[in-house]
Amino acid sequence: MIILNLIKRTTFAAQLLNRSIFNNSLYNGIKYCVTRNIHLSQPAHDINEDVNNKLMEFFDVPKNWNENEVKHGRSWNLAELRIKSNSDLHKIWFILLKELNMLKTMEHEYKREWKWWASPERIDKVQDSMKNIETVVRERNQAYHMLESGTDGEQPGQYITNALGLREYKKSVEHIVPYWANKKWREANPRGCHGPDYQKFMRLYREKIYNDKRKGRNRDKNHVIRLLSRFPNLDRNVLKGKYPQINFDTLNKKDLYRGHYVPDVE
Amino acid sequence: MSSRWYPLYQRGNPQLRVFLPNFWMKIVKTPNQQPENVVCFEVSHQMTKYDIRQYLEKIYKLPVVAVRDRIAMGRFKREERNGYIIKEEDSKLAYVTFPKEVKFTYPDLFPEENETKKNLKDDEKSLDQAKERFREFCNRNSKRRGLPGWYSI
Repeated sequence: MIILNLIKRTTFAAQLLNRSIFNNSLYNGIKYCVTRNIHLSQPAHDINEDVNNKLMEFFDVPKNWNENEVKHGRSWNLAELRIKSNSDLHKIWFILLKELNMLKTMEHEYKREWKWWASPERIDKVQDSMKNIETVVRERNQAYHMLESGTDGEQPGQYITNALGLREYKKSVEHIVPYWANKKWREANPRGCHGPDYQKFMRLYREKIYNDKRKGRNRDKNHVIRLLSRFPNLDRNVLKGKYPQINFDTLNKKDLYRGHYVPDVE
Repeated sequence: MSSRWYPLYQRGNPQLRVFLPNFWMKIVKTPNQQPENVVCFEVSHQMTKYDIRQYLEKIYKLPVVAVRDRIAMGRFKREERNGYIIKEEDSKLAYVTFPKEVKFTYPDLFPEENETKKNLKDDEKSLDQAKERFREFCNRNSKRRGLPGWYSI
């Protein structure tokens, strides 16, 4: 009976198109993220056949061509990836990378031919998984650096005043020649700005920012007044939580506040 | 991200290694006719010839003989409605040569559309029904001219 089962399994495995990795930790990777059977790059004697098989990894399995919908799973989430080892994350990354290349190839060709390409959300799911892997690797990197050196090991940066005179966050980059000795770099990356034109520009720029804020404030206030005139029994505490900068005590003095109903006169 | 922030290379340092490459590559049909052992890839803009070769050799285990790459400029075209000019994005194309025994032809992804048509048959049927009903709705007062649109029996 066991032998029969084994034979059944092997024939089933042979039917699957070259599924390569049955490693326990990676089987989940196939289950969740990959929407096709992985091609096994078997060492073929014929180099033509070998290369062609490997290049077909860039294409979806023929079963999924001209389909209206391709069934697939969800993306990897952070909790699942946090319990994986570094080497497992590395392997999952390359599975995802190959899947992404495949999906991009198919999407390109279907768009070029103006054909319906099934389930484009697969790309988003793969990219989401890749982003999550990067997040986990980054967390581990930060933890390692905090243990070793007391800093998080992130790329340092600071706010600088750029050539237009505006404040800007700039990431620091390593240079062979130091800043004070590199005249060429200093000329190419001027900092700060002076003069009457700059003063005028900054005055107008600040005025613009101020006006935007003022208009936003008025917009909110009028919106709240109209809400109150339409719905007089509205819960004020909710509104106060949503618009903390509005003074609700003075609102009822506005003309807009009166709704289209007869007020209660005592 | 810290894993994308590489130290400056100085001579004598160990070689920089990318552990989680975020480059992508896709096979596209060649714009011009090429020998059968040349495959055209569209790749990330940041990739160099060496990157392309390493990518194919290390990740896909392909025997690469030579790599040439170029940046293809995106086409300019006019917007149909308002007439302003649009430029499509540039793309980096890599022409990768494999050993001369290799003969690769781009697979025919749309051999026959019978299968798809079978699936779309139901949709077309319901679409025809909807069209027919709309036509009936439009002509419901055709024998009583001059009546307002909301008036019908």
